Amino acid sequence: MYLQSRRTFLKGAAFSVAGVAIAKGVFATDAVAESIENSKFTNTPDTISFYPNQSEWDNFQELDGDDWKRGGIERHGVASAENEDGIQVNNFMLVPTVCSNCEAGCGLTAWVNKDTMTVRKYMGNPLHTGSRGRNCAKGYAVTSQMYDPDRIPFPLKRAPGSKRGEGKWIRTTWDEAMSTIGKKMHDTLKVGDEISKKSIMYHVGRPNENGFGHRVPHSLGIDGYNSHTNICSAGARQGTIQWANDDRNSPDWANAELIFLQSSHAADAGHYFQQSAGLIADARKRGAKMVVLDPRMSNSAGMADLWIPCWPGTETALYLYLANRVLHEKDKNGDDLVAHDFVKEWVNWDRLLANKEYLQKMVGYGYISKMPAGDTYEDFIELVKELYAPYTKEMVIRECKLEGMEHKLDALWEMYIDAGDKIATYIWRAGPIAHRGGWMIARSAFLSLVVRGALRGDIGGTSFHHWHEISVAGKGDKATVAGERPAKVDVWNELAWPPEYPLSSYEMSHILPHLLMDEEWQEKWTKKGLKVPKKLSVWFPRMYNPVWINPDGFRWIEALKREDKIELSFNLSPTWSETNWYCDYILPVGLAGERNDQQSTPSKPEQRIEFRQAVLRVAAEKMGWKAKDPTRATLEAHMKYGLGEIWEESEFFPNLMVHHVDPDGSLGIRKYWASKKDPSRAVTVPEYFDAAMSLLPRLKETADKMYKDEEFPVYSYMRDHGAWTEKTNVYKPQEEELKVDSEYVYAHGKKYAKHHVKKDQFGALWVEHDGRKHSIGIISDDKVLAGFHTLSKKLEFFSEWFAEWKWPEYAIPIYPRNESEYKKMEHIVTQVHHSFMKAPNEFALNTVFRLPYNIHTRSVNSKHLMEISQNHNPVWIYTKDAEKLGIKRGDAIRVKVTDTVSGLDSGYFVGMAVPTEATRPGVLACSHHAGRWKLKDSVSVPGFEHKLGIMGVGAPRYDMTNDGKVGTLKPVEGIKPRHDVWQFKEYNKDLDNIWWDGLSGAWQNAVAPSHPDPIAGNHAWHLKVIIEKAKADDVIGDIYVDYENNFKVYQAWRDELTRPLDHTDKLRRPQHIKRPAVPLSNKAYAVEIKA
Amino acid sequence: MQDNLLTEQSARINIYALISRIMMNEVDEKLLELIINDENILSFFPEFFKWDKRQGMSNKDLIEQYLNVDFTNLFLLHMIPYESFYRREDQQMETGGDNPVQTLYNSFDFRVELDEARVMAADHIGVELEFMYKLCESESKALVDGEYKIAGEIAEIEYNFLKNHILEWAPIFLLNMKSEAGTALYHDAADLALEFILSDFEYLSQLKENSFSYEKLGRKNNGH
Repeated sequence: MYLQSRRTFLKGAAFSVAGVAIAKGVFATDAVAESIENSKFTNTPDTISFYPNQSEWDNFQELDGDDWKRGGIERHGVASAENEDGIQVNNFMLVPTVCSNCEAGCGLTAWVNKDTMTVRKYMGNPLHTGSRGRNCAKGYAVTSQMYDPDRIPFPLKRAPGSKRGEGKWIRTTWDEAMSTIGKKMHDTLKVGDEISKKSIMYHVGRPNENGFGHRVPHSLGIDGYNSHTNICSAGARQGTIQWANDDRNSPDWANAELIFLQSSHAADAGHYFQQSAGLIADARKRGAKMVVLDPRMSNSAGMADLWIPCWPGTETALYLYLANRVLHEKDKNGDDLVAHDFVKEWVNWDRLLANKEYLQKMVGYGYISKMPAGDTYEDFIELVKELYAPYTKEMVIRECKLEGMEHKLDALWEMYIDAGDKIATYIWRAGPIAHRGGWMIARSAFLSLVVRGALRGDIGGTSFHHWHEISVAGKGDKATVAGERPAKVDVWNELAWPPEYPLSSYEMSHILPHLLMDEEWQEKWTKKGLKVPKKLSVWFPRMYNPVWINPDGFRWIEALKREDKIELSFNLSPTWSETNWYCDYILPVGLAGERNDQQSTPSKPEQRIEFRQAVLRVAAEKMGWKAKDPTRATLEAHMKYGLGEIWEESEFFPNLMVHHVDPDGSLGIRKYWASKKDPSRAVTVPEYFDAAMSLLPRLKETADKMYKDEEFPVYSYMRDHGAWTEKTNVYKPQEEELKVDSEYVYAHGKKYAKHHVKKDQFGALWVEHDGRKHSIGIISDDKVLAGFHTLSKKLEFFSEWFAEWKWPEYAIPIYPRNESEYKKMEHIVTQVHHSFMKAPNEFALNTVFRLPYNIHTRSVNSKHLMEISQNHNPVWIYTKDAEKLGIKRGDAIRVKVTDTVSGLDSGYFVGMAVPTEATRPGVLACSHHAGRWKLKDSVSVPGFEHKLGIMGVGAPRYDMTNDGKVGTLKPVEGIKPRHDVWQFKEYNKDLDNIWWDGLSGAWQNAVAPSHPDPIAGNHAWHLKVIIEKAKADDVIGDIYVDYENNFKVYQAWRDELTRPLDHTDKLRRPQHIKRPAVPLSNKAYAVEIKA
Repeated sequence: MQDNLLTEQSARINIYALISRIMMNEVDEKLLELIINDENILSFFPEFFKWDKRQGMSNKDLIEQYLNVDFTNLFLLHMIPYESFYRREDQQMETGGDNPVQTLYNSFDFRVELDEARVMAADHIGVELEFMYKLCESESKALVDGEYKIAGEIAEIEYNFLKNHILEWAPIFLLNMKSEAGTALYHDAADLALEFILSDFEYLSQLKENSFSYEKLGRKNNGH
């Protein structure tokens, strides 16, 4: 009908309503454009470590980087109306924030261009005393993550009528999502019974904040928090809990004489690494030595003074050997090497010697030949001398398979002794998370520090994180109607804390899908009297990609697809991920510069907090913009300035709770999230975080002075500075004297009437409250000291409670002394022990090392990070092992996974072999942090050859099959140059320059069965594998998984190795050790198991 | 002349408002009711008028099961309704404050609110069409006030914006949209928009021939 008569359109004049009622109405005036002020031009910086003074951050001009290439201002002058060819001047506002890629929480400044309201770059924050203005590759990549070409721009909802995993999505709104989710949560909680309080689960991947996330389930009155910790670090934490009832250690790198590392963690890839690496570099410049125990020559090992490639999982023997020598040998002056002053005062040897029943057991186990002669410290020293005498150099050489490397043990000994008590370490991932009994590695590593006095927390030594970390993000209660913390929760969720694992360090997250689908297990415990949930009403992960990162990924897919097991799911996810495909909603949340969190990282002996911020909102507010709804300011700002409908939890949850979960307050939840200032609405970011961070007295005092005219002075201080150091030089905190006056003893922020405080025979002070006994301090030389966090207030060489909780044989640092003890002590022998390797093609696979430029899942689509990390994940194989098997560089090999508990095979992945001297004989290495996949490239754009991308920079496309028993992946197409990008052009100019295909890795996590450690509960990551050359049709990246077998492997580890709760138990778990994250009442802890 | 001009302007305002609204966001029940109940509007959607699915369903179901799914495919997933995507050689899109069309709006003191629009950039087809709507509205006010010279100047802006922006890409997009549409409503909307902007350009070209002078044009038309 080309062309219609113009007259036809005149009918438009006769519409029943006017255009104004039809049009959307998207044009208005804008305050921002008018508020840009003149600011002075900044000339050439003097040094490259240049940061403007904080007072200039609101209004800082900088010459444009591109223009510098044209010869600088000398040649062209500064651009202006009259001088069009001059150098461009950028009007920046620097808004401080915090990196959200890893747990280190390094300081960042977002350089917001005030003319375009875009972030041009992220740099460091010099006011952050941990990161000191520096960042790793991931920090500088935040810009590329923020303006990711495949960024999810708005909430997506599974298309009605489609099934989970079909990949059919429609756009929805945050309001619709909140309404649906809130109603489901409301209806679940309204039932009010025990099961309902176990039916909602918040599953947090990387928290990167200190307590806000815990507050979510806590305020809902549910035991509904789950984490990723048991695939990350729970092994090390278990060892630390037993020694110090603390979560992790905290070294003083900068002042150490020996940096004693197990794995590349700390120095080149792991926890707090960028901050730690800088401090370690400072120490080494000063002359400190560095030793790395690692079967793989990591970057750290490569530059260390000494690399010791123990057989993975046997390091315990080496640490006990060091303790043995310290106990038996003298220094050059003939004095003991043992730090007697420290050990005598701060180790609980007295309780061991007083426990005759346990000593008898030690005799029975053959640990010692006879009962100690008496109860003195000297008797203890004699006992441990005998206990550790079997851990000789010869034994270590044999056990750790260090034949030919005897000289390395001699060199280690010299460095270790020369360092005195200035030994700093960070025992975290690697060994402790890789092995069954990995926690004992931590236990024994700390023993080697204890005997030298290096765990005193003094200068240059090692301390504990509690004293170096500040967690107030969950404590903004004063800004809410309730004005106080929610009550303790009365129920215990078996899906996160099953009765087989009463001592697990953290939630049994990696077997959540197994527990959900294991109806036999549910039935068993139901019959024994527990109320075990059979399904979840709402499951919502945050910054987490469990499908991909957990072992047995196909089991996760099965569980997530089951709408009868997980009725509603949504992922609070900043990026596309494998998990997103199987959820009902994908709700895009902010990255480093798009959210508000209080974080604190114990990277040095100080107490510090940092504040992550939604930088576009902050910049706009400083320029006069006001949100229409102050409780949704971040969302509004992100939409206004073209980032998309990106929100954040600290606005989402308050709105969800107040308006949708408990709109009328009848569930008792609303008051914890409604604003005290205006109870009709949710609490705002400034209100909440001002209240939370005001709990730091020095910060509050400073902020009140500097921002006395502001409504939220502490918030304002943190908004403008981004970091605050409350206290420096936090050393030997256990030796701090408690305040005592004529009536009270003051401890942990509480005061106790003196007549209620009882001293026991070992000097510990006890009080009773909440219906149980707590130790609050210890008497030493007539002083009342704070002590450690343990019940004894000392470091616990002997973990008395652990012995009582069914594991007496492991209540002291110990390890099999000979082959005959491997089976007897199987709970602390790695599943990849060399005794399991029989044929020349049987290997231990070292999976659990990080790549320094990647963070598990969020970095997938940063071109900057992908470019430097691609092709870095082959299967490392020792040169001579490869020769024997006829394997050459680049060969595709099948890596078949087999379980040493059940004897079952899991399937295989096909990797690319790279023979190298940088892994030890018998041990392969392949990081489980690579091998991302997607099933669709998204969709074609009709009429154009290019496609919209899903993880288009970092994940190749695969075909998947899975039938409930066997799952496979096969690569279809690698990553290609991009011409189809539609977002953020200015930031993605070079996406046509992609030269990697990403096809060098495989999704090995799916092949790995869950190996739940019987005690710490963590997944023991390493695998026994059998390798062979790939078959004709195999390609690198193929996986074949028998996940029916994997289910049996999980059951075998659970049923053959654990010591579950039984009818003799009255408690779910010892009450004095941490049970993150929701505080539970005595009622929740109480248990009755039917015989 | 005045009455004819104002009728013409009123039609232009309303049609730009209608097509910009349809292209900008998902249809809601209010809009759908308006389309169905207003015979003048409905006459612009001939296939939709006949569409059998429309007869047997509630408006809510129609929207949720068909129209919104089609909108998602056409405007969010499969196609890219942004000028920069069509016009740049690298087929990338300029989001946020760097978008040149946004600069153009700014220069006429129109500030686009991307959050209201729920779009990623100022050169979205819905926003560009609403810009035309705003210009027509201004032009109409000037005509009502007898300010013919100003009205002519605004018409020149409209002409240039159509010529230099909308016509440079929207026809291709709308043809694609028409062929990819899965529902009669969006099929007809593409057709309507395409026909209308071409026709409107003809109309503005006539004005241009008369140096954007309504007096001249009026004299000429009267002469015929």
